[in-house]
Amino acid sequence: MTSLTRDNLVTYLRGVDDDQVFKALADPTRRRLLDRLFKQDGMTLGELEAEVPELTRFGVMRHLTVLEAAGLVVTRKQGRHKHHYLNPVPIRRIHQRWMDKYTHGLAGALLDLKDHVEGER
Amino acid sequence: MTTTAGPSTGPTEAGPSTTTQVYELYIRATPDVLWDAITNPQVVARFFHGAQVESTYEVGAKLRSLSPDRSQVWGDNTILECDPPRRLVHTWRSLYDPALAAEPESRVTWEITAQPGGFCKLTLVHDRLDASPGTAANVTGWSYILSSLKTVVETGEPLPPMA
Repeated sequence: MTSLTRDNLVTYLRGVDDDQVFKALADPTRRRLLDRLFKQDGMTLGELEAEVPELTRFGVMRHLTVLEAAGLVVTRKQGRHKHHYLNPVPIRRIHQRWMDKYTHGLAGALLDLKDHVEGER
Repeated sequence: MTTTAGPSTGPTEAGPSTTTQVYELYIRATPDVLWDAITNPQVVARFFHGAQVESTYEVGAKLRSLSPDRSQVWGDNTILECDPPRRLVHTWRSLYDPALAAEPESRVTWEITAQPGGFCKLTLVHDRLDASPGTAANVTGWSYILSSLKTVVETGEPLPPMA
């Protein structure tokens, strides 16, 4: 354990970690795409393309790939269309990482973990 | 797959989309453990604002949700699909708020997908919200619920109450 925060007890998978989320958010175009999905969830690539006319279709796809890899965008296929949805969970977890730190004792967390691991499952 | 999910209207400038919400996260647990977490009343209470749920989890059965002291009905929904440990679909009406309770029923789908290495992807889709804008605006707490579920399952520790 490199740092005594509760978050080290949980996992980040598929390379989806805070670095990826912050990198994905560090680009103004990607933030614009997220803003657009925040206003209108479920947009298709074609609809999102129209929001950033200065980019090629390939450029928009690349940005969406970064957002999807960071878990900030989830896609669902419906018929022949792929819809893009803003997934707020990674941002919520980053929020909780720092906001909860002072409201929750590490000792309590470890004790509960011990109970959980040793208890019946 | 929830093939009927998705917006029924094209993009507009009218404001936030309220038709479908999709949440996704990865949890270090087997599908069985995760399924137990979302259907076991004792575990649900730990990540769902202390809700006391009651259901047989059979198709057509009720899924009732009460406040922690059981004095208020938070939800009186119906199980639409139940395929343990993969898929649970139920109706949704927010009975905890009179204005929201007056809106039409919407639908919540839980999907558990096993990943290599003892992990699961959990996807929650809340849809059929087209005629329930208040509910759509009010259920953004899903990200808190699901994050709390992840923490409960992985560490045994619920998140502190939402401020």
